[in-house]
Amino acid sequence: MKGSYLGEFEELLLLTVGSLANEAYGVAIMDEINKETSRNVNISAVHAVLRRLEEKNYLESEMRGATSERGGRRKRYFKLTMIGKKAVVESMEVRSKLYNRIPDLAFKFSI
Amino acid sequence: MNTAHPPKWADRFLSWYCNPRFLEEIQGDAHELYFRRVDEEGISKANLKYIWDVLRFFRWSNIKRSNSKFRSTGMFKNYLKISLRSMVKNWSIATINIVGLSMAIAVAITMFIFIDMQLNMDSFHTNRNNIYQVVSKVKSDNGQITWGDSPILLGENLKDGHSAVKEYTRIEFSSANIRFAEDVFKENIAFVDPSYLEVFDFPIRRGDEKALYKKEQMVISHNMAERFFGKNDPIGEQMSVKFGNGKVVSMVIGGVLGKYPNNASFKLNCLIPMDHYYDQVKDRTFDWGDFTDATFITMQDGRNPRELHDLLVSSQEKQNEADSKWTVLSFDMYSLEGLSLRNHEISSDIAAGGHPAGRIGMGVISGLLLILACFNYMNIAVTSATKRLKEIALRKVMGGVRAQIIKQFLLENMIMVFLALIVGVFLSYYFFMPGFNMMIPITIPFEFSSLTTAVAFFGGMLLLIGLISGSYPAFYISRFQPVYIFKGNQKFGRKNIFSKVLLGFQMFFAFTTIVGCFVFTDNAFYQAERDWGYDKDGIISIAISNEEQYNGLRDAASRNSDIISYSGSYGQVGRFDGLTNVELVDGTSFRSIMYRVEPGYLSTMNIRKAAGDYFDIEKGTDQSQPVVVNQKFVEKMGWDDPLNQQFSYDSINRTVIGVVEDFISEGFYDPVRATMFFVGKPKQYNYFVAKTTKENAQKMDEYLAETWASVAPYDPYDRVYQEDVFNSFKTENNANITLMLAISIMAVLLASLGLFGLMSFNIQKRLKEFSVRKVLGATAASIVKVASKQYAWIVMISFCIGAPAGYFSIKQLLNSIYGDPKDIGAAPFVISVLVTFITIAITVSGQALKATRVNPAENLRNE
Repeated sequence: MKGSYLGEFEELLLLTVGSLANEAYGVAIMDEINKETSRNVNISAVHAVLRRLEEKNYLESEMRGATSERGGRRKRYFKLTMIGKKAVVESMEVRSKLYNRIPDLAFKFSI
Repeated sequence: MNTAHPPKWADRFLSWYCNPRFLEEIQGDAHELYFRRVDEEGISKANLKYIWDVLRFFRWSNIKRSNSKFRSTGMFKNYLKISLRSMVKNWSIATINIVGLSMAIAVAITMFIFIDMQLNMDSFHTNRNNIYQVVSKVKSDNGQITWGDSPILLGENLKDGHSAVKEYTRIEFSSANIRFAEDVFKENIAFVDPSYLEVFDFPIRRGDEKALYKKEQMVISHNMAERFFGKNDPIGEQMSVKFGNGKVVSMVIGGVLGKYPNNASFKLNCLIPMDHYYDQVKDRTFDWGDFTDATFITMQDGRNPRELHDLLVSSQEKQNEADSKWTVLSFDMYSLEGLSLRNHEISSDIAAGGHPAGRIGMGVISGLLLILACFNYMNIAVTSATKRLKEIALRKVMGGVRAQIIKQFLLENMIMVFLALIVGVFLSYYFFMPGFNMMIPITIPFEFSSLTTAVAFFGGMLLLIGLISGSYPAFYISRFQPVYIFKGNQKFGRKNIFSKVLLGFQMFFAFTTIVGCFVFTDNAFYQAERDWGYDKDGIISIAISNEEQYNGLRDAASRNSDIISYSGSYGQVGRFDGLTNVELVDGTSFRSIMYRVEPGYLSTMNIRKAAGDYFDIEKGTDQSQPVVVNQKFVEKMGWDDPLNQQFSYDSINRTVIGVVEDFISEGFYDPVRATMFFVGKPKQYNYFVAKTTKENAQKMDEYLAETWASVAPYDPYDRVYQEDVFNSFKTENNANITLMLAISIMAVLLASLGLFGLMSFNIQKRLKEFSVRKVLGATAASIVKVASKQYAWIVMISFCIGAPAGYFSIKQLLNSIYGDPKDIGAAPFVISVLVTFITIAITVSGQALKATRVNPAENLRNE
């Protein structure tokens, strides 16, 4: 397994899965990312990363919710595991800690 | 919901590659997206995006991995290991298999390269699908024949008459004596239109393709340049060319061709602009009745030769008006692409390309040898598999299915065939191809026309031989039930009719070829050693073209005391003879050879007298009445007492004054022909013949050559030692002997190998039986008898069919080839039978002796 750190896209996916609560499956996750970040992510990329995260135990999944437009096929719904939540929280903490250290001056200059 | 559906093939592709664990979610998501897009963006865009998604999903983590244990590489490894082990264990049998197969494969490779080259003649002409030779269908006695010749005016008429014709070039063959400094050679030349080098893509080493547009320039081949100039650059050198009409023209070399590619079907030696041909016949103009040796035209790209139909018909009408004797029925266009394959249809052809019978014959022979080798292989494979019945049963018990066993055996075969292929390539490259090249007049390089051909050929061989030879054991043995094998009920391999039939066929073929070969070789030796009917040693003949040359040589010869005798002649035994019709009083006629000679000719040539006298030398050349004939002539005439018989020839009454014994004048492929000698005048002579002792021949040759240089500086010294006149026959004869020997050796070898393999297995299997026999007091002789009995029968039967078959087929062949074949005696028969039986006896006895040497204690101890 590739270390425990999170890549940018992985983190984004974890956040999205968390935010979609009980409705997080492939297409919905892709839609959400496309909407929130106005990126154009391909469904296959979403699947690949979701599976990777599941292998790292950040996510867990179950199959349910067949619809007719899917030809009666079930969806794989994802939700965060405890480790997943911890990983998200940790990385958010690192970020906010670093963010708070930025002096005001830097902000003013950059604007 | 709408009725749209994702592209079926993409969907199927997805379900095919996708790991079933993920298929449901992936396909579900893809479909959901698809239907949403159909609503939002329309079907066609949705289709495209769906395909894109399917392709994007095609990644390693999603792809179905093999989930069946039967397909795992582990099993393959096991097959490989087992087959290598069994090969090592039975190394002698494996070697026999591989050697036998590889020899046949080597023959097949050699023949394939030969045929492949023949099928790809002229492929270096980039424009060859637009180039056509215009041929003439001419009325003949029996229907029509196709001439390579065409009216000399045709090419121009076609070019001017139709826009689809881009260019034309004609070829007119001739010969000329060409001189540079001291060297004079008689060369084959060709008058061609200047466009010749543009139409065809022959490699040009020096000069360019416009060289022939200057009338004083000529272009010579690589060979001719080397002959005259060695390594020097010949461009711009002056040569004097003496054409057939005796006129000498000085020409400049404007270009040298590169070496002709091996697959060039025509290789002209010396190209001279067509204008010189016109110059030679200045006194008249050509009309539609005059033919030239070949006309080629190039079509504009993409134009169909059928467009010329009307023009060809009108040309044919013009020809018919001008020439009533050889009326052209129609013109046809033969594409250069297939010209050498169709070449045998054309009489007076210009392109090389043998009759397809030769190709087919060689293909059949190599195919037969391959089949023999496959039989061999099958036979041994089946018998050797009997030793592995328990392995097979065990595999089945452990859960192996039949398909796996089949696969295992096929794989083993493929490995064997692959090894044989490698050995075969080596054999072909180092032995068969060079050997074959020695026998044929051209040299074929060891290469294929294209990489695809080579890959297809070797791949095809591997698959075909592997499947053919491997399928019988694979499919047959895999059917056995384990329970019968373990119980020992599986009766197999002991009285296998199939094996015996295969072996019988091999033996039959071996006997046929070896008997045929010995009969053929016996005859070939006989022909080579045959008495020519005269003593040929120390005789030299020189081709001359006029009376001065004759006089010059005669004077020189009379001054040299080493020269025993000399004379001039029209026609020379073995080199050139005039065929003519002799008409009898009752109106019938027969063909006879006719020589017009100086009175001393017959004694110079040592032609043996049978009755009467030679010509009277005292009377000189002014005697037209007396004639000397050979015995065949007497036979044809039906004379009892030939001397002083009279007959009329050329409206002169002739009297037979002498009869000579029959002698060989035309070579060995024709029977001796009726021959007559008249006395001729010096101006008619085209040969000068001189005789000395065998030891002095070379000295006389040098002396005459020296004389010749001053007598005829513009003509080549064209002399032949009489003993060499049939050299080309000798070469061919030797080649035939080698070829027949090679084929029969291979056939006997393959058959012996087959027999050896079969027997050795059979004996090994029956070791216990032999041990029991021995314990019960069987003698060595009786064991040998028991061990070899069943094979002796096969050998006997195939001998009884094969030997007569070989005898009769070769007898037919000999009668069709040689005019006077040797009567087939018992000797070749006996020898060939002996050779085969000895080979077989060695094969069998080694194995049979093995059976007698068994140690009963060892073989029976285990049970």
